[in-house]
Amino acid sequence: MPIEKSDLLQGTLDLLILKIVALGPVHGYGISQRIRQISKEVLQVQQGSLYPALHRLEKRGWLEAEWGQSSNGREAKFYRLSAKGRRQLASEESNWNRLAGAVSQILETAS
Amino acid sequence: MSWWKFFLPKRASGAQLDSELRFHIDELIEANIARRMPPEEARRRAMLEFGGQEQVKEEVRDVYRVRIMDSAVANVKSAMRFLRKSPSFSATIILTLALGIGANSAVFSAIDAILLRPLPFPEGDQLMRLEQFRRKVKNPMGRLAPVRLEDWNRMNSTFQAITGYYTEDASESSGMLPEKVTAAFVAPRFLQVWGVAPELGRDFRPEEEHWGGPSAVLISDQFWRRRSGGDPSALGQKLRLGDLSLTIVGVMPSSFLFPDRDVDLWVPVMLGGPFSENRYLTWYLTIGRLKRGVTLGQARANLATVQEQLGKAYPNTDGDLGVSMEPLKETTVGGARKSLWMLFGSVSLLLLIACTNIVTLLLARATQREHEISVRFSLGGPRAAIVVQLLTETFVLALGGAGLGLIVAGAAARVFRTLARDLPRVGEIRLDARVVWYSLLCSVVVTILCGLFPAIRGTRRNLSSALAQTSRSQVSGRHPLQWLLVGVQVTLAVTLLSGAGLLLRSFQALGRVSPGFDPSHVLTFHITGSYAETASPEKLAQRIDGTIDTVRHLPGVEAAATSSELPGLAREYETELKFSEGEVNPERKILAENRFISEGYFAAMKIPLLEGEDCRRGFRTQEGGALVNRSFANTYFGGSPGIGRHVQAVIGSLFIGPGEIRGIVGDAREEGFDREPSPTVYWCGNGFDPDPVYLVRTQAKPMAMAEILRRKVHEIEPGRSLFAVKPLEEHLDEAFGENRLRTYLLSFFAATALSLACVGLYGTLNYSVMVRRREVGLRLALGALREQIVKQFLLQGLRVTLLGCLAGWGLASAFARVLSGMLFGVSPTDAATLSAVIFLVLAVAGAASLVPAIRAAHVEPMQVLHEE
Repeated sequence: MPIEKSDLLQGTLDLLILKIVALGPVHGYGISQRIRQISKEVLQVQQGSLYPALHRLEKRGWLEAEWGQSSNGREAKFYRLSAKGRRQLASEESNWNRLAGAVSQILETAS
Repeated sequence: MSWWKFFLPKRASGAQLDSELRFHIDELIEANIARRMPPEEARRRAMLEFGGQEQVKEEVRDVYRVRIMDSAVANVKSAMRFLRKSPSFSATIILTLALGIGANSAVFSAIDAILLRPLPFPEGDQLMRLEQFRRKVKNPMGRLAPVRLEDWNRMNSTFQAITGYYTEDASESSGMLPEKVTAAFVAPRFLQVWGVAPELGRDFRPEEEHWGGPSAVLISDQFWRRRSGGDPSALGQKLRLGDLSLTIVGVMPSSFLFPDRDVDLWVPVMLGGPFSENRYLTWYLTIGRLKRGVTLGQARANLATVQEQLGKAYPNTDGDLGVSMEPLKETTVGGARKSLWMLFGSVSLLLLIACTNIVTLLLARATQREHEISVRFSLGGPRAAIVVQLLTETFVLALGGAGLGLIVAGAAARVFRTLARDLPRVGEIRLDARVVWYSLLCSVVVTILCGLFPAIRGTRRNLSSALAQTSRSQVSGRHPLQWLLVGVQVTLAVTLLSGAGLLLRSFQALGRVSPGFDPSHVLTFHITGSYAETASPEKLAQRIDGTIDTVRHLPGVEAAATSSELPGLAREYETELKFSEGEVNPERKILAENRFISEGYFAAMKIPLLEGEDCRRGFRTQEGGALVNRSFANTYFGGSPGIGRHVQAVIGSLFIGPGEIRGIVGDAREEGFDREPSPTVYWCGNGFDPDPVYLVRTQAKPMAMAEILRRKVHEIEPGRSLFAVKPLEEHLDEAFGENRLRTYLLSFFAATALSLACVGLYGTLNYSVMVRRREVGLRLALGALREQIVKQFLLQGLRVTLLGCLAGWGLASAFARVLSGMLFGVSPTDAATLSAVIFLVLAVAGAASLVPAIRAAHVEPMQVLHEE
């Protein structure tokens, strides 16, 4: 069953976007496709959340944007991770792992 | 992100966002087509999947919008909430700032009105005051002969026009009773130079400015309303001024107050009259309007060339003359500049003290809010946002202070007018938009000055350590920074107090100075006269002598005399003189002040006659003779007897000499209480000045005689009016106006500064006591004496104060130069004043420290230990 935005933990979308963009410059459509593919269709990001999030991250200076040609030759806005974004990604990733670890610890121990 | 980018919104450009989203939709359509959907269906599905485009755009735009407007409103709201929660804290800061910003805006409103604004005439910066001067002596013979004025106007190439004027207090006798009016006699082009047109009626016509033409007069708005109740039919009516019958041709606007606010009439002086070729006359105060784009230097050089040509053409009268030129504004307000900037400097120091005080308060507050701030950090608030939030709080306080301060500034005009009525342009001081803007600017500066540092410091805390910290671990009561700020406040307060102390001492010294004459019980007044009377000096002298005799015989009058000038008021009329007998020694010039008096002057002023005899009656100095003061005798007689010698002006003058020296009188400070008496010649005679000052020594209070005098003068001179009746002491008092203004205001600022510094000291010490209660309780429990605790805290306060005093002493000595020239009878580094100031500060600071120190000693050990 696909998980909708509302079920996503606050801040998780940001983490996912940062992680995808870390793989290389990519446009909004590409990000939504990758999240869908990698999560095996479990996570479906609504454009209504995706684009505000992209712009928010850009404004915070974690992402940098540039206009370029897509694979089929169209003009698209590509996002790239900034140095600051890379640091942010690292810290959020470790936070997430700690949280996830802690949660699964509790789930395992308490069962 | 650099901090400033926080304030500059990055915009999501609409077109870019459109194409970004369109790309996404196109990709979706293409993917659908790749799944073999028909194009229409592919499109429909894509749109469906994408959702509301407009909604997405709106949400993206929100990303950029939120921070700027909404967060500003939210910040202000939350600041208000926070300030309401701590009313005494807020009130303290707002009141401190109201005083600081208010006093600052008040002085600014005076500086703005007096120094910064152009004169209230169209393109007032083009107006210049022109003077001629004798190159050899320090003698502002500034007034011009009509013929020279016309020469200057014709021969120059840098002025639009040059004009002149002189005023006379005259008697207007067209009504039932004569009325004293102030008439300005003006050269041609008068209104052209001012760039002002009559409100009603017209300017003078050329024929009205030529000898033999019709006589015309322009009247002031004030005179118009007083005499004809503002009835336009006043135009065409006639006024009588002595022998002149003048037709009213126009009414000037009420805003036109030149040469001064009392002027009632403007009368053209006609060209081509009997005096028109006389180059010796000194009639006109001269004003010129520069052509557009001409600089001061160009105009000066141009006029100098003009006067040089005249000097060649008329070597006797013009050979020795130079031309000086200053902007009219400068000559009007220049004297007040130093005092005003000094006051502005002191209120700025005061504001700085207030700010320092507030920084201390905010720092203390920030410590208390550490917890709140660290919670906000942990919730992911960016630091800049928290700093902005804290700054908003300070800004709201500063705005409140500025708002209240405007009330203080609003009272400024009245204070300035009460303390220094003679300050130039004092009537133009008012609370207007510029002052409001200035207060607003002040509050922004205050916000940055006071708020930024505590906000940045308050948010620099390491998150985890702050969260871990509990009140238990807040033992450190040293707070070196807060104490440094208290020290700075004391330093600034000592600086201001020293300035105020020096001014007070010099004011006192002025009051104690013995002027060499006795100004008490002297009534002064004028009786209208016209310069036309100088045509027959004998008759003029007879008239004035007759009046003096009548006044002298009134019961209650001890003595009466006239003088060309009020004694004791600043004025310079220095000329080069020579003795008629013997050789003139070119190495040894005789320079002296000149005063023109009637016989009986020295008796009326109680100036002792040391040798010889008083003036005789006469219309010229040839008959009346001259007396000299002791300085003159000591400086120029050179041991040989001086009485009986004749003295005269080196350069021909209508008025001066030759006159026989009949006596020597004591030195008197006639040029001002703050100046040493200089060598002076008193010329005797009543034939040169139609409107001298009458000086009457009375037995009772001077003003009690005013009505009797008025009636008596009307009896013997029904066509003349008596005016400007005032005790001499009042004139002298007014002459101290600017001095008094700066002394009182600086003392007030200094007192405020001292109280603020004490509040700062008290607050900081109090806070320190509060934080260290536990430690104090513990020490008391371990057997410390209460006196020791008191001593410890008292010394802590006094130590900082003493350091502040020492720094203040240094600063005050450095700034003493600012005051030089304003001081009299006291040196700018007067040790007695400075020690007194430091003693005062230490005493007050001691009192302010004592309260918290005693409070510390009364901590109950058991109670404190229980609190834990």
